[in-house]
Amino acid sequence: MENELDHDMHEPSSFFTKYVWSQDHKVIAIQYSVIAILVGIVALVLSGLMRLQLGFPGSFDFIDPSSYYQFVTMHGMIMVIYLLTAIFLGGFGNYLIPLMVGARDMVFPFVNMLSVWFYLLAVIVLMASFFVPGGPTGAGWTLYPPQAILPGTPGSDWGIILMLVSLAIFIVAATMGGLNYVTTVLQARTRGMTLMRMPLTVWGIFMATVLALLAFPALFVSAVMMLFDKTLGTSFFMPAILSMGQQLDHEGGSPILFQHLFWFFGHPEVYIVALPAFGIVSDLISTHARKNIFGYRMMVWAIVGIGVLSFVVWAHHMYISGMNPMFGYFFATTTLIIAVPTAIKVYNWVLTIWHGNIRLNVPMLFALGFVSTFTIGGLTGLFLGNVVVDLPLSDTYFVVAHFHMVMGVSPILVVFGGIYHWYPKMSGRMLDPTLGKLHFWGTFLGTYAIYFPMHYLGILGVPRRYFAYENYDFIPDSAKDLNAMISVMAIFVALVQLIFLFNLVWSLFKGEKSGDNPWEATTLEWQTETTPPGHGNWGKELPVCHRWAYDYSVPGYQQDFLPQNFIDEKLGAKV
Amino acid sequence: MSFLTPLMEKSWEPVQNPQIQTSGREHTRRAGLRLLLTVVSVLFFLFIVAFLMRSQYPDWQPLAEQSSHPLFNKTLLWLNTTYLIFASVCLQIARVSGHKNRLIIAKGGLVLAGLFSCAFVTGQWMLWQHLYQQGFVVNSHPALSFFYILTGLHAIHVAIGILAWIVAVIVVMRDSPKLAQYIELCAIYWHFLLGLWAILFILLVSKPETYNAIVEFCGLGI
Repeated sequence: MENELDHDMHEPSSFFTKYVWSQDHKVIAIQYSVIAILVGIVALVLSGLMRLQLGFPGSFDFIDPSSYYQFVTMHGMIMVIYLLTAIFLGGFGNYLIPLMVGARDMVFPFVNMLSVWFYLLAVIVLMASFFVPGGPTGAGWTLYPPQAILPGTPGSDWGIILMLVSLAIFIVAATMGGLNYVTTVLQARTRGMTLMRMPLTVWGIFMATVLALLAFPALFVSAVMMLFDKTLGTSFFMPAILSMGQQLDHEGGSPILFQHLFWFFGHPEVYIVALPAFGIVSDLISTHARKNIFGYRMMVWAIVGIGVLSFVVWAHHMYISGMNPMFGYFFATTTLIIAVPTAIKVYNWVLTIWHGNIRLNVPMLFALGFVSTFTIGGLTGLFLGNVVVDLPLSDTYFVVAHFHMVMGVSPILVVFGGIYHWYPKMSGRMLDPTLGKLHFWGTFLGTYAIYFPMHYLGILGVPRRYFAYENYDFIPDSAKDLNAMISVMAIFVALVQLIFLFNLVWSLFKGEKSGDNPWEATTLEWQTETTPPGHGNWGKELPVCHRWAYDYSVPGYQQDFLPQNFIDEKLGAKV
Repeated sequence: MSFLTPLMEKSWEPVQNPQIQTSGREHTRRAGLRLLLTVVSVLFFLFIVAFLMRSQYPDWQPLAEQSSHPLFNKTLLWLNTTYLIFASVCLQIARVSGHKNRLIIAKGGLVLAGLFSCAFVTGQWMLWQHLYQQGFVVNSHPALSFFYILTGLHAIHVAIGILAWIVAVIVVMRDSPKLAQYIELCAIYWHFLLGLWAILFILLVSKPETYNAIVEFCGLGI
């Protein structure tokens, strides 16, 4: 295998083959991450604009109901798909999988390169929708027909078409990347790296990729069929309908069918984002608490279990859709069952920290922040998973608070934690810890200040998706004050991200030199000969894996970590 | 349950001389292709589920029940199916010959398979033209919309296969040692596409009672 790989590894010689048309997984990872962060900034600005309207209604002339719905839609879609999915799988997955399993690169480097270029194309098509007549779609990120493609919805001329085309291209990109990640994990692990010696980061990304490969086709199917309904006048999802006083040609289609297909993708999507976060957090906590992860095997089984269960819970997003009410019982049950493996993971993180030798480095702060926000978000999920509780809460800010805590704030904290943790490996320099701590506390406390009060708004019955809240007797003035406070905090959190962006650029040139293994971690990516690792990652020989990734504070050794490729002379006697 | 055995390993116990567990490049390509075919299967499976669910609505019209229906005359469909069967058979012959080192037959089989596949895609295009001229357009009714989507997507997959076939032919002509490996990959892909086409063919020309029974059995009624 080594010789064959060497044979296939053509060292890039020019600037273009090294940094632009690169087939090196590390460069592709950084390309993915940079695109994702840039497009994420667009989504962040959009959320700020939404909050300006909600907190200070009528104060900004340039925000009308149409543009508000466009902001909502584009914010949601970009954050979920184009930022979080892309950065976890394309960014972290690409960078970490080959390094952590001891491979020289992904198994299909050319396909990997195609993947990032298709992703960029998808982003360009999506961004183009800001500049077409009518602007981007304002159908909500779920794009429910019939309203998504009918006149009256913002962007129903071109915006929705570009959105659907962009999604289809993204799915092709994600599939090409996904084939690489899964095949690399299954086929290119180094000697000794059994599945159960892989770090949990790899397990999380691996399982999330499997989910992506199986769930994205559902989005592809619904996008293609809706594109046909929109452009060719078919009636897959479109019922007989009057629009603007006129009977349309559509007849007999089923909007519920779209919802089933969308959420068959949509719910696994939550775990496509969450599972890599689970994996990364496990490794951050173990490394920075200097303790082996509590219940490693259980953690792996929980990841696999959550992955399987995530395909049988989708209709809990549809309790109020008008589907067969008997479905609710089944889907409520599966939804509550999925809480069991998830809770196991939370307990294991807490038990790993218990009696650990905790180093409160910036990545650790983000990891601990995640455990807190994820627990809060997960607990409100138990409310919403029950049909009778969901019915009154479904269209309120309670849901906004829930999903932002559980799949907005939590994964993004892990993204930050991961970047602070692995930036030294990518660049050879540390991110500035003081700026990092400022960034953490601003983001952590700020997001709590945004989303915690939203639970109260939801229980008051404040409806989500509304452009303005005037003239509703049941919404007290205090709710409006709360909304203003939330908006101020949202702007604050957005500004705090500037510290992070500054830190990223500044540390690249001025940051403290990191050395090969600044966190004294055990996993293989920290054991490379050079930092950042060169082309082919390892020197002449691939590393050999002798132990799992969690040998921290092992009794009888002077140093408190034993790298995975550490050979122990006394080992034979011990085993 | 042997696939669960790795999950029972006691990860925390270190080893001095770990086993080699990686496999060759050829095996990696095959694994990648099988994974891709799994994803494609899921894609078509979901389309088929959507087809079955949509078929339960009152405006549904079958495609091959009466002489006025678009697929009542199946001559063109059978002709195109024959092309695809020939392509698959040629690749199978090439595969076996490649293993036995009969290079001429293997190369001939590979080339013929590609030509039959081109004939299939052209044939499907002509079928579309034929239907279009008879007034059976994509938005005539939902079953016909599904027909165009499913046959179109399948043809795109065959066309992507033809692109890979062109690469394979170039590689095989230049570098014979890789012949068997490339033919093997092409054969797996084409057999899959033939099987998929068989399922789509049956689905599209089935009687409503057939898919009503499937829907009933699977509980897919909305």
